[in-house]
Amino acid sequence: MIKCENLQKRVPMAGTELEILKGITLEIKSGESVAIIGASGSGKSTLLGLLAGLDEATAGSVAINGTDIGALDEDDRARFRGQHIGFVFQSFQLLPALTALENVMLPLELQGQNSVEEQARHYLQRVGLAARTGHYPLQLSGGEQQRVALARAFASKPAILFADEPTGNLDTTTGEHIIDLLFELNREEGTTLVLVTHDQALAERCQRRLRLDGGALVGE
Amino acid sequence: MTATKMLARDWRGGELGVLVMALVLAVGVVSGISAFTTRLQNALEQESHRFLAADLVVTGGRELPADWLLAAERSGLQQALTLQFPSMVYAGDDAMALASVKAVSDAYPLRGEMTYSQAPFGTVLAADTGPGRGEVWLDSRLFALLDVAVGDEVTIGEASFIAVAAARTEPDQGSSFYGYGPRVVMHYSDIPATGVVQPGSRVEYRQLYAGETAAVASFREWLDPRLQEGQRAVTVEEGQPGIGSALDRAESFLLLAGSLAVVLAGVAVALAARRFSERHHDYVAIIKSLGATSGAVNRLYGSSLLLLGAIATLLGCLVGWGIQALFFSLFAEQLPVQPGPSGIRPYAIGAVTSLTCLFCFAWPPLRRLGHASPLRVLRRDLPMENRRAFFDYVLGLLAVTLLMWWYSQDWKLTLAVLAGLGLTVGLGFCLALTLLRGGRLVGMSAGSIWRLALAGLQRRGNANALQVVIFAMAIMMLLVLLLVRTSLIDEWQAQLPEDAPNHFMINIGPENVQAIEQLLRVEDITSEPFYPMIRGRIMSVKGEELPSTDDVQEGRRQREINFTWSDTLPNENRLLAGEWWAPGSDEPLVSLEEEFAERMGLEVGDEVGFLVGSQPLEARVASIRQLQWQSMRPNFFLVFPPRLLADFPATFMTSFHLDEADKGFLNRFIRSFPTVTVIEMDVVVEQIRTIIYQVSAAINLVLVVILAAGGLVLVAGVQASVDARVHESAILRALGAQRRLILGGLLIEFATLGLFAGLLATMAAEVSVFILQTLVMEMDYSPTPWLWPVGVFSGALVIGALGVFSCLRVVSTPPVRVLREL
Ligand SMILES: Nc1ncnc2c1ncn2[C@@H]1O[C@H](COP(=O)(O)OP(=O)(O)O)[C@@H](O)[C@H]1O
Ligand SMILES: [Mg+2]
Repeated sequence: MIKCENLQKRVPMAGTELEILKGITLEIKSGESVAIIGASGSGKSTLLGLLAGLDEATAGSVAINGTDIGALDEDDRARFRGQHIGFVFQSFQLLPALTALENVMLPLELQGQNSVEEQARHYLQRVGLAARTGHYPLQLSGGEQQRVALARAFASKPAILFADEPTGNLDTTTGEHIIDLLFELNREEGTTLVLVTHDQALAERCQRRLRLDGGALVGE
Repeated sequence: MTATKMLARDWRGGELGVLVMALVLAVGVVSGISAFTTRLQNALEQESHRFLAADLVVTGGRELPADWLLAAERSGLQQALTLQFPSMVYAGDDAMALASVKAVSDAYPLRGEMTYSQAPFGTVLAADTGPGRGEVWLDSRLFALLDVAVGDEVTIGEASFIAVAAARTEPDQGSSFYGYGPRVVMHYSDIPATGVVQPGSRVEYRQLYAGETAAVASFREWLDPRLQEGQRAVTVEEGQPGIGSALDRAESFLLLAGSLAVVLAGVAVALAARRFSERHHDYVAIIKSLGATSGAVNRLYGSSLLLLGAIATLLGCLVGWGIQALFFSLFAEQLPVQPGPSGIRPYAIGAVTSLTCLFCFAWPPLRRLGHASPLRVLRRDLPMENRRAFFDYVLGLLAVTLLMWWYSQDWKLTLAVLAGLGLTVGLGFCLALTLLRGGRLVGMSAGSIWRLALAGLQRRGNANALQVVIFAMAIMMLLVLLLVRTSLIDEWQAQLPEDAPNHFMINIGPENVQAIEQLLRVEDITSEPFYPMIRGRIMSVKGEELPSTDDVQEGRRQREINFTWSDTLPNENRLLAGEWWAPGSDEPLVSLEEEFAERMGLEVGDEVGFLVGSQPLEARVASIRQLQWQSMRPNFFLVFPPRLLADFPATFMTSFHLDEADKGFLNRFIRSFPTVTVIEMDVVVEQIRTIIYQVSAAINLVLVVILAAGGLVLVAGVQASVDARVHESAILRALGAQRRLILGGLLIEFATLGLFAGLLATMAAEVSVFILQTLVMEMDYSPTPWLWPVGVFSGALVIGALGVFSCLRVVSTPPVRVLREL
């Protein structure tokens, strides 16, 4: 499903280069759930961004379902993301000007689907927010915002879901609820899950764990 | 997702407001000023037509053909007749006075109004028509001179009239120099009864016409070839060159103001769009991570912008209409005439400005959104790339230039403003970057407020340089406008100061000169020197006899002129060529007025022949002078050395200033010196001053509007950087910094920016004003030293205050709220 080889990321910095990822090679199978763990600053987010096609690698390749996303231009990658990939972020990343319902409808509309409202309502109900569809993000608590984000991520039926520290901004209890919901939906939809976290307990719930240290994989 | 849907959603988010406001403002200010100036010019033109009491006047010494009136009637023009002549007026048994009689038809005046009062020197009232048949209005002074009261009978020639009121003013009083002596106004149809107007009398017939500009122009075309010897057609531009040039300069000024409004509007839109785009950066990153392509993002923002532009243009035109309506309602009392319609052009200009602003200022930053990286969803601090910034600036500059040129139709004016702008931008970036860099060294050793402020300046080096340039641009334009306004108004006022001479005295016999000088001194009346006046005839030029024709169209002909003599160059005269003679010279020399010399084809060194009385006089042109015709001082075409004319009989003339309240002096004077003629020009001088006063008021008004627009740009510029500063300050507050530290730091930061901006602005303003005054307005340029401290310190003060004021919410909201919002 996801295959990456010798993935490197370097950024120019004050005359020299900062090496963030030092050649990562890994493979993730369809339907698998994988946790990427490591200390803060070890390069987890950078790796996730590359795997999800949000960023371009300095060297190496990423292929998803046989498509080399490094070879696509940004617009093609955008279309690819819209079709195959869903996101959940640490800081929720809901659009503040849109209601919960409109936030969930957005990726469906971007895919060019019609009559998306039913579908969006269905997923909001699924995350337990049927009564809050007309509310704006600022009127929702952090946990509720993250549930909207989950509904948004699953509504477009992505093949792969990337989550970057989805509980990072939440308290423990709320975080656990979100995780339960995430794994429940994941099981129902049969999505491949790539999850970045430094929470050991959360990582334990994944089928496989990859540990990053200083930009290199140091084992499972 | 459609654009309308996004706009609706964004509107709720409140971020579109700023951009729409800027656009509405741009369109509103530009169309408002343009409509205002169009209507004002229109009104001033009408006002100036009052000087003729008509749009077109035909004058002649003999009765003018009646079929001209019929032709004018067919063209739909209004018409009136006047006749002016000097005549004795009698009352009672032995009282009499020489008066200047003006007979007017019922329709007179076609423009402006006559005034009268029910008693001599009484309350001034406006009248639609002059006196009826059998009635006259007498100058207030005449009541005393003739010893009559209102209701008494006076006689002119063979007819008797009842004096029903005191004549005060007529709109076209100043357009004729026949107006010696106190005025009598009578009805036109009473002329035959008096029997005083005979062929050969010294009279002036006038036909007055008024109507639509086009109709007047075509009638004029029809008329011109039919004009005979001694007949003349005059419009206000020809009749009052002084006012004409004042209006021209006022127009240049208003165009300049409008052009600056265009530039300021453009800058405001660019700033707002930049801010809008920065605030949408996250938004775009999110929808791109969800699969939106850059094409989709561009389409989204492009169509939103178009929709927004359409709405803002409509609103802006409404605002523009409101602005000009407000001005006219505020200043209705100062405008003596109803302003005409403005037409559609101002709003078309507004719409084009809006389109240009949208395309050249708003679109570039929004287009950049399409290239925003979706990676920002993971890394908030990722800056927006701006590789085409240089191209965008060039595009903006080009747009501003074209817009300004289109608006003013004056490339010199455009160039002047552009030079200032270019200087600001160029120097601005260099200066700002260098100085801001240099600040770090100083700041490190300073106290914590300073360290905070200087660190802030440093960290946003590029953004700050841009901000300095924008502030400087706005300040520069305001300074330019202020300077041009001040020198314009100063110059006008210098031309006609409060105590400018407003009466002439001619025909003073040499034996009376000393007595009159003495009398004026006793009465504490300041006068110009007494100039001798000799009447002579110019006979030959460069040895060539001139034709003896009376055709006024012929420039080179024998003609009667007044000369004077003087050992020194008369006041307010300027030598253009040649040299002034040594005092006491008896060489046969003459000094000529510039235009006279040109008409006669004379240059320094040429020979001219005259006939004075019956004696020939040959002289060589020694110099050529320029006169100030508006100065109301005695002016002469020809000046000779005194000894050359010593043997010829001369009379003297002078001019002096008399206040309205002291007019009684004239009665006493005329009794003591009955042979002297006094020409009263006070009404004319007052009229000219009124016009200039109105133009000045209009100019001040426009200045205020532009100031407001400039202020808005400053606010937009400050706002643009508030977001970042609010966030930083919230962090500082969370860390325990006190209000004083934060506000102090902000004050220093903004005041420093303002200081640099003021410095730049002042430099650029001087350059701009130099070009404007020398190239466009044809005025004398002199540097303005007071500008420097004013520009620099007001820059620091205003921007410092604005900055702190805009950031007040930093210290008034709890830091958590600010931090959570971001
Ligand atoms: N575009 C970039 N420019 C400079 N430094 C970067 C950039 N992207 C990542 N980094 C640096 O690379 C390191 C890894 O970042 P990140 O992948 O966000 O770590 P993690 O998510 O594991 O905390 C950090 O030290 C970060 O500052
Ligand atoms: Mg991270």
